[in-house]
Amino acid sequence: MAENNTIDALKNVFSESILHHEINAGDQCVVFVSPSQNTEILSWLREEPTQSYDLLVDVTAVDFGEGLPLQVVYQLWSLKHKNSLRIKCELEIENLTIKTVTSIWKSADWLEREVYDLFGVEFIGHPDLRRILMPKTYDEGHPLRKDFPLRGRFSRAEQTRRALSQDYHDYYTEEMLEIGGEPAVSSPKYDTDKGNAS
Amino acid sequence: MGLNRDGVNTQDIFEAQDMGYSGGHKGIEMGGGGPTFLTTKIDFVVNWARKNSLWPMPFGTACCAIEMMASAASNFDLARFGMERMSFSPRQADVLICAGRVPYKLAPVLRRTYDQMMQPKWVVSMGACASSGGVFDTYSMVQGIDTIVPVDVYVPGCPPRPEGLIYGLMMIQEKIREETLADHSELRSEDPDRAGLPEAGDEDISALSGPFGNSTQQEYLTGLAQTKRPDRPKDLLP
Amino acid sequence: MTHVSSIEPDIGSEHMLINIGPQHPATHGVLRLVCELDGETVIKVMPDIGYLHSSFEKLGEYRTWNQIVPLTDRMDYLAPLIYNCAYVMAVEKLMGLEVTERCKIVRVICMEMDRIFSHLLWLGTTAIDVGAFTPFLYAFQERERIYSLHESFTGARITTSATRVGGMMADLPDGWIESLKDFLDTVTKTLDEIDSLLTTNAIYLGRTIDVGVISGEDAINHGLTGPNLRASGVPYDLRKDHPYYDYETYDFEVPIGENGDCYDRYLVRMEEMRQSIKILHQAIDRLPEGPINVDDPRVSLPSKTDCMNDMESMIHHFKLITEGISVPAGDCYFAVEGSKGELGMYVVSDGGYKPVRWRIRPPSFVNLSVISKLAEGHLVSDLIMINASLDIVLGEIDR
Repeated sequence: MAENNTIDALKNVFSESILHHEINAGDQCVVFVSPSQNTEILSWLREEPTQSYDLLVDVTAVDFGEGLPLQVVYQLWSLKHKNSLRIKCELEIENLTIKTVTSIWKSADWLEREVYDLFGVEFIGHPDLRRILMPKTYDEGHPLRKDFPLRGRFSRAEQTRRALSQDYHDYYTEEMLEIGGEPAVSSPKYDTDKGNAS
Repeated sequence: MGLNRDGVNTQDIFEAQDMGYSGGHKGIEMGGGGPTFLTTKIDFVVNWARKNSLWPMPFGTACCAIEMMASAASNFDLARFGMERMSFSPRQADVLICAGRVPYKLAPVLRRTYDQMMQPKWVVSMGACASSGGVFDTYSMVQGIDTIVPVDVYVPGCPPRPEGLIYGLMMIQEKIREETLADHSELRSEDPDRAGLPEAGDEDISALSGPFGNSTQQEYLTGLAQTKRPDRPKDLLP
Repeated sequence: MTHVSSIEPDIGSEHMLINIGPQHPATHGVLRLVCELDGETVIKVMPDIGYLHSSFEKLGEYRTWNQIVPLTDRMDYLAPLIYNCAYVMAVEKLMGLEVTERCKIVRVICMEMDRIFSHLLWLGTTAIDVGAFTPFLYAFQERERIYSLHESFTGARITTSATRVGGMMADLPDGWIESLKDFLDTVTKTLDEIDSLLTTNAIYLGRTIDVGVISGEDAINHGLTGPNLRASGVPYDLRKDHPYYDYETYDFEVPIGENGDCYDRYLVRMEEMRQSIKILHQAIDRLPEGPINVDDPRVSLPSKTDCMNDMESMIHHFKLITEGISVPAGDCYFAVEGSKGELGMYVVSDGGYKPVRWRIRPPSFVNLSVISKLAEGHLVSDLIMINASLDIVLGEIDR
């Protein structure tokens, strides 16, 4: 019954921003909130003693394709009350921006980067928003979107060529190069026009 | 083991040199004279030494790496075959065991590791993913490491059992046994300009990694040109 | 003394950039750590992951519900059965399907066995990282016994793919429980032996105590789960806090540490293996007879006799085989206590034969993100120990 308390309390505090809620898979409580209010709601859920959802378990996204809005999903767990709660924000596919929650939970850092990498959702205010799983130079888009083909957009030969044609700038971030300086010997650069090393 | 030089006169040695052995560094064309007594004996000794002291370079990425560790542990014990020392440095290694799936992000690392190894070197592609991409016919995976580096032995399985890996390494030993030093300047020469480049050309890569099986037919949304059902020969169509 | 001060700027600290990995024996996979060093002290660690990104989640959207099971065990190849079970449990929860009593207990046995399986590998490789080779050989000897158990049950040593929605691929073979009992006897002795090699070993203590300390509060904020969180003194274990498969009726303890350093993480995992052995003994005792697969027309095939005599059963069989099972629309997050932390499976269905989204909440992905905090100010050799103590598996970090 604690889940229902959470929904009532949320509706009391953030009346307009709580769009609707549903109970899925028997006992799992899902609350849809307005994307513009996500940090306020999540930080209230964490700080409020009667809720204290102090563990951010997961941040992910769901793309349904066909132009439907993309859902950003926050999965929370309260160590004190032993409750779970799922918060969803629906974003229009043309405007995938939402505020970051890294200031509330440190664990959101990598999880948000992953959502950015695979879905293209931009987290405003994220300290280090760059690709995490795909290479820095990946040009094919955001793989987990429904309009992305399973085998990638480029041909296998092009993918292989791009993978092997990186130089050290693609392996290191600007910050790393600033610390380390330029390498004494540069790696052979693959010339995509001629198809050989220069 | 010392060679008994008494029975061989100097002229024979010169002839042998002219005919092929050591032709590489003297700049003489490799002869068509065929193997002589001396070269076959040296081949035997060198190959015997090489094949019983192979140092593997474990390029382990995923599940297969665990089976590779199992083959190095006590139940299977790779050390019985002279592979006591897992050489984690490519400069001191003879066999590159690529165990596990290789994404495109890792492909330059694999190529660099291969380029850093000294000749003579051999490559074992362990497992379905390394050999062909396996079940991962996806945007991020190399469809077989033979597009990146030349491969000598493919070990099938997902993952192969340690016995399978050991059998693959014994096939490498068999391959070494049949090598002759006379062929080395041809077999083992490397073009430094090819360092860091894919092993296969564009057409080969497309042929090797073309869509097959049912993985590309199982798309969630239809209408994507890249994931259309591949055309099959007419006789196979219903 | 003036000489010294004039020399000092020249020998002063110029920071160095060191690249560890992705092909390095001590990174436990293809992890890449770029470190900024001052002498031998780590100033900053910048992990770079994604070198094993195999796109499981995208592939899952192209597979039917049961075809995903073989993908799950290739994700964490150190504890495949836990992943098999967690995935089908999430789907069953979304379908509202209750598995049979025997199936529950068999899955508990599978999961606890693989917890030992995973921790043993962690133990062996961590011991190698501090220079001890013997525990690796001891641990692998026990792992070989689990390999045989896997093999006689599922036919594969690592990639088990043992579960199906609504049950298991097969019932336990004859004599399997006896082999499991033999294993439990030997693993207890082996754990004692490894214990005597490491727990009071001066080198091991020196390398692990007060290395990579994280407080409970920070650990929660960084999202740590599993043994890494419990070593910091937070008793969060899903088997106790959000029990599934009647875990609340088993008699076992959740070990917790005090300091949150590498040594505590080691102690917690050692004790967890002993508790798993305890759970396994209880589960063997209460293993009931009966069917292992649920009798529900949504997931289970009709019997061969029915198919041959009855048109409806034939059609049903045909549809289940050609289309696969269908799962009602909705979404479900189900988490189990994996060997590395909270392993969550999030499945979204639109009522079809394939998921719209299959998401794995990766425990070691979140656990690894804390490494730059833990390693700051330590030596490079401590960084290797900290990385080892987090118990990561790259297949699941990169997915």
